[in-house]
Amino acid sequence: MNWAALDITILGPALAAGAIVLVTHVPLGREVLQRGIIFIDLAIAQTAGLGVIAAGGLGWDVHGLAAQLAAFSAALCAALILTWSESRFGKFQEALIGMLFVLAATGSILLLAANPRGGEELRELLVGQILWADWHTLTPAAVISVVAVTLWVEGRNRFGRIGFYALFALSVTVSMQLVGIFLVFASLIAPALATRNLKRYAVAVGYAVGLLGYLLGLILSAQFDLPTGAVIVWALAGVAILASWLIPAESSV
Amino acid sequence: MSSSENMNRIGSCSLCFLLLALGATPAWAQLQIFACEPEWAALAEELGGDAVEAESAVTGVQDVHYIQARPSLIARVRRTDLVICTGAELEVGWLPLLLRQANNSAIQPGAPGFLAATDFVDLLEQPQTVDRALGDIHPFGNPHIQTDPRNIARVAAALLERLQMMDAAQADYYAARYADFSARWDEAVQRWTSRAEPLRGRAIVTHHRSWVYMIDWLGLDEVATLESKPGVPPSTSHLASMLEQLQNEDVHAIIRSAYQNSRGSHWLSDRTEIPAVVIPHTVGSVDGTDDLFSVFDVMLDVLLEPEE
Repeated sequence: MNWAALDITILGPALAAGAIVLVTHVPLGREVLQRGIIFIDLAIAQTAGLGVIAAGGLGWDVHGLAAQLAAFSAALCAALILTWSESRFGKFQEALIGMLFVLAATGSILLLAANPRGGEELRELLVGQILWADWHTLTPAAVISVVAVTLWVEGRNRFGRIGFYALFALSVTVSMQLVGIFLVFASLIAPALATRNLKRYAVAVGYAVGLLGYLLGLILSAQFDLPTGAVIVWALAGVAILASWLIPAESSV
Repeated sequence: MSSSENMNRIGSCSLCFLLLALGATPAWAQLQIFACEPEWAALAEELGGDAVEAESAVTGVQDVHYIQARPSLIARVRRTDLVICTGAELEVGWLPLLLRQANNSAIQPGAPGFLAATDFVDLLEQPQTVDRALGDIHPFGNPHIQTDPRNIARVAAALLERLQMMDAAQADYYAARYADFSARWDEAVQRWTSRAEPLRGRAIVTHHRSWVYMIDWLGLDEVATLESKPGVPPSTSHLASMLEQLQNEDVHAIIRSAYQNSRGSHWLSDRTEIPAVVIPHTVGSVDGTDDLFSVFDVMLDVLLEPEE
């Protein structure tokens, strides 16, 4: 037990980071689950990482704004490819997403072999650590997430497929740097799975499941001195299982 | 979040009672020391004795370049009086973030509460030019200074001054402990150096260029490194050319740290019949290295008779 670590000034920014990720990932997660393209976030994240390494290879500064632009441009390219492939090869979409993932991941290795700079940046980008989040980095992320979710809610019928993939690319690029790829995946899938049977209030319940998971994970991590991101993934899974066990009974009434 | 503050308070109170019950030295009298690596925590305990409480961020079997963030790390740095790290960008991936989150002005770099060990040692491998194509080169020189015991002595002298400055009331206690430690250490360094005499000039292969100070001290000859560039896994052509090179050389051992992947070493060892061994690089990295003295005892045991 470690009471000193249970401190709002330590856990507060991490919880806020979780909330920012959930804002976009709960509604997007339902869409991902419905389309059956679960591994899209891994593919997009890996492509964003490839963009940063390519920027490093061109001699650009791999920190700061240039890296962000490179990451987002690469993620957007991946989104455009996936938009096109879904209309062209519909039922093989998940397989193509898998191929995109391994190509981006191994492409990073090949680029890094020629130019080792960027290796650490790739690691930072893919395994952002939730505890290092501070208000300075949270503010722009919060703004981007709120804009993204507003566009999604207001314009999902107008933007169609391409709008979904572009917003997805943006929110994954932002959130993986805040909390890391494992938590991005868990935040996307766990609340969506828990609320799969709900017709009404599904997004609201999804937010509750997600926030509860983050809160529980942070407390457990502080109390038992365990790596924070990994514990939150397990807490999210636990809360989601509990919620999906409770929900079918309620929704059938 | 008043509930968490309450829990915090209850927690601190019960901790105090626990310490009183155990008859331990009261926590408020001890200088709190946060070390990045186990060797500096061990050194702080050698000089500080009962007057300090030292903990290390990484253990002997973890890679110091990377660290998993835990809330307790931030909490510990927040209430610490003195941070001792290697510096020279060894911890650049996580220490600046940790110090920023801790938000404790007393232990920021430049403040008396922050001691970078590499400030007191002449660094090897300071690059003439930092060429990014050469890999993750440390621009200030090679930071893995703790594998030469003479560097430990240099840092000990600097640490004594710092402890006396931070905790003037105990200055004589620290001076006495330092005198005792450095006498035993100097004697041990002489013993190790003469024990290692047969190793002088012997060829070795390393996994990562983290042994340059040990190599410099013992006069070893590093003929090859498994990583073709620092931090980059070996490529097939690099391994093949290394294999060819090593056929014609009398190589004593292939060495790596406890946290490094054994596959590359074993691949080369299987093909060349050169023994691949783990050398302790710090306290707690292999069995029987509970303090700084035993690190170098075991290091020489393994180097003198390398067996897998």
